[in-house]
Amino acid sequence: MIRQIIHKEILENLLSFRFILSLVLVILLFAVSGFVFMVKYKQQSNDYWEKTNENLEGLNGRTDQLFRLAFYRQSIWRKPKPLSLCSEGFEKSLPNRFTFDLFSSDLPEIRGQGNFTLSHFTSIDWVFIISMILSFLALVFTYDSISGEKEDGTLRQMLANTIPRYEVLVGKYLGVLLTIGIPLIIGLLVSLIIVVSSNVAVISGLDWLKILTIMLLSFLYLSIFILLGMFVSSRTAHPANSMVVLLLIWVVFVILIPSFGRIISEVSGRAPNPVELERRLGEISAEMWSNSQRFGERAGFMSPNPDNPYNNPPARARLRTAETNAKNQAREDHHNKMLAQASTGRNLTCFSPTVIYQRASETIAGTGINRCVNLYRQIKQHQTSLRDYIRTKDSEDPDSLHLIFPDGGCAQAWRTISHNPVDFGTVPKFQERDLALGQSLKLAIWDIGLLALFNLVFFSASVVSFLRYDVR
Amino acid sequence: MIWKIAKKEFLLNLMTFKFAVGTILCVVLTAVFVPILAKAYQERLKTYSENVAYNESELHKVTVYKNITPTIYRPPSALSVFSEGLEKQLGNSATINYDKVPEVTGAAANHYLSIFSIFDASLIFKIVISVLALLVAYDAISGERERGTLKLMLSGTSARYQVLLGKLLAGLVTLIIPVTIAFILGLVILLSFPMVDLGGSDWIRIGFMFLSSLVFIAAMYNLGLLFSCLARRSAISLVLGLFMWIIFVAVIPNGSVYLATQILPVESEDKVNEQIALLRRDAQREFIRELRNSGRSFQSGTSQNDMPGKGGFGHGYVRSCNKAYMENNLIRYGIGVPIEIKYADKYSAVEYGRLHTLFEQTRLADNLSRISPVSLYENVMSAMAGTDVAGFRYFIDDVKAHRNNVVEYIRSRTNNFSSPSFFTPCTMEETELHPLKDDAPPLDLRDLPRFVYKADIIGSLRRVIPDLALLVFGNVLFFALAFAAFARYDVR
Repeated sequence: MIRQIIHKEILENLLSFRFILSLVLVILLFAVSGFVFMVKYKQQSNDYWEKTNENLEGLNGRTDQLFRLAFYRQSIWRKPKPLSLCSEGFEKSLPNRFTFDLFSSDLPEIRGQGNFTLSHFTSIDWVFIISMILSFLALVFTYDSISGEKEDGTLRQMLANTIPRYEVLVGKYLGVLLTIGIPLIIGLLVSLIIVVSSNVAVISGLDWLKILTIMLLSFLYLSIFILLGMFVSSRTAHPANSMVVLLLIWVVFVILIPSFGRIISEVSGRAPNPVELERRLGEISAEMWSNSQRFGERAGFMSPNPDNPYNNPPARARLRTAETNAKNQAREDHHNKMLAQASTGRNLTCFSPTVIYQRASETIAGTGINRCVNLYRQIKQHQTSLRDYIRTKDSEDPDSLHLIFPDGGCAQAWRTISHNPVDFGTVPKFQERDLALGQSLKLAIWDIGLLALFNLVFFSASVVSFLRYDVR
Repeated sequence: MIWKIAKKEFLLNLMTFKFAVGTILCVVLTAVFVPILAKAYQERLKTYSENVAYNESELHKVTVYKNITPTIYRPPSALSVFSEGLEKQLGNSATINYDKVPEVTGAAANHYLSIFSIFDASLIFKIVISVLALLVAYDAISGERERGTLKLMLSGTSARYQVLLGKLLAGLVTLIIPVTIAFILGLVILLSFPMVDLGGSDWIRIGFMFLSSLVFIAAMYNLGLLFSCLARRSAISLVLGLFMWIIFVAVIPNGSVYLATQILPVESEDKVNEQIALLRRDAQREFIRELRNSGRSFQSGTSQNDMPGKGGFGHGYVRSCNKAYMENNLIRYGIGVPIEIKYADKYSAVEYGRLHTLFEQTRLADNLSRISPVSLYENVMSAMAGTDVAGFRYFIDDVKAHRNNVVEYIRSRTNNFSSPSFFTPCTMEETELHPLKDDAPPLDLRDLPRFVYKADIIGSLRRVIPDLALLVFGNVLFFALAFAAFARYDVR
């Protein structure tokens, strides 16, 4: 019996005006998203490789003397990802450049990207289309699923047969899910075909798996809205009323709550202020230098002549290292505060399925804010391995003082770090590591669980209210 | 007859479920969100006054003219509660330096927060009340046809235009209620915060915001009416209206920005940096040339006593020095600073060239998005709140003028930068003595020009008029189309 209901529902939907309208709109949007991605990705990869090669050339140019390598300020640019087709994760307004040398790394920054006077806009990626447009369509297809049949008088005829109520409900649910699935799948395929045939991005096997996961996640998300629609429809007597309620719920869930995150994170705690950080860094320097004696005799003194007896290299190393460490710590604290502020906003808006869905798909696609943070951490790890490398190479040079500390002037004049050349091939180069599917899933497990919970809640709510529904 | 129809419609509308739910939601949302928005404004205001106080206290520490580098802050706008615009996206401060002309910058305090989109009170109008307008309008004609009351009405003596005008009037009066309630509630909540101080020009702005909200809602209502006249079944007109709504709200504002970035791409920063690097080299050459012409030269054997971080605004200064140091710096600043000031204008011209392409791109995006009433409404609101690009440019232009005043002030006080007081409190005579170690007394800067921020009400009104006119035009257009469709409507 269920199969008959599903069959009927799908056929009925397929012939409706709203289906044609949504099919056209959704496919159009997916096609646009494919084209937009193609153009953008090509541009971004060109930029990325140009900048990365520039960085490597710079690194190569510094291999003639080890100490110059240590003080080379590398710039790592964020690599464009093929999966940003699915979930761009607001990357265009997130930091894309990370600079560091052996001793310190700057806060991630945004460089050469776009136009800051343009108003905030969302890229048309899959997540945008699914979370905004398709969730809306899910409501358009379900708002009259119960109350509409009641108005038409077909509901009582259906229930006059031997079919139990829950079967009607499940049948309708699956019917709408499959109907919504048609534009979704066609749209995804159109978008993928555009991207694959254009040959700009190589989608690896792992990426295909992740795309599949995101697809499943999208069904889980859309099913929430279908169940919500059926729930509200089975609470109201007229489809017009259920549309009103559903629209307003949709507006709150999909538009208001996700944007509410910013304000809530601003109000919830004192915002980290870049001006304050600058002042703090200045204070650290002033404080260290005015008390330089505590790091040893004449730590503040430096004569370029290495034989000057007033020089005290170990004391100077302590001073500069302490200064840099304190500054690094201040920057790290600032960065953590920035992150905490952003994640507070997201966590506190988690009662909207849209926020959860966005976050989960970002996690699986490996884009967005978490990726930036990850990249920043990986760069710090790379810094450590580079330091080990420099230390090993430095220990091979008997003329060096073996004092690896952040003072380029001293390293040059006193030879605190070796001046010997090194082989460019042996220098560690930064390589971003992607998370495996299992790891991303593990990170997204809470979000997936929450989405399932929403499904469960709305499903049981709609079952209960439909069981008590007055079909007359 | 129009009045009778309008009255009947109005009373019917008032008793509908959708009106009740929509109005309650508006009131609840306003009551919940405006206090939070006002709290956020309070935070910003606090940061602003802290910054201003810091500036003032640092100004009292300044011992040499070189260190007069105050940062000018733009006070946050109280009306940003209604429309945030670019308030958090653009830099709201500019530092006065003799070697740099301030420009509009993009400075978010926390980049990671850009994962959230803008949230302000106008979002409630833009989204919730516009949906409500569509919901009130969608069955105005097609619903009456379905119920069979349309033919009854038209079988009387009333003309079709009377019916449509009556419906329009009734719908507008109905929608004024939630708009007014939400607006007044928002204002009352905002005013209940002690730090909110609205002046005369702010009330003009608020008046325009209210007016434009009404015009916008009327446009959305007319759109709903049009679809109601186009479709025979009310379900279809609702679906059509909502599709159009989602295109206006989500697709056009995002799509226009994307199109603009494709049509008018901006130059990369690298090019500007290269040009500036070239100019810097020119500046150095000019310095060397001037130095040679003056017949002076740098001496060796300098010694000085630095006071790191104690000269105000985080700068250090030289407390005392020997003659060689003094001579060298008199050359460096006396010849160098006028050149640097000259070149600052050149750098700024190069930077402005790029900035101009950004502004052009933004203007194109704005123009493209003007087919959506939602974007028009957004433009009006942000211009009125003073949070649009033009508002920031006006501020920066003010700061530029102020910078010139400050530079002129320093020039007049330091004999065209060639007095020792520009970089050290140590005088020529003191260079002979044993170097001093105590702190120097701060400069008397009571007559330093101070910056006063004036919001530009005339300019923002001028910016708003075309958008408002377009919104009114949208109203007329939608209604005319609705009228044309209704004149041919089959009422059976």
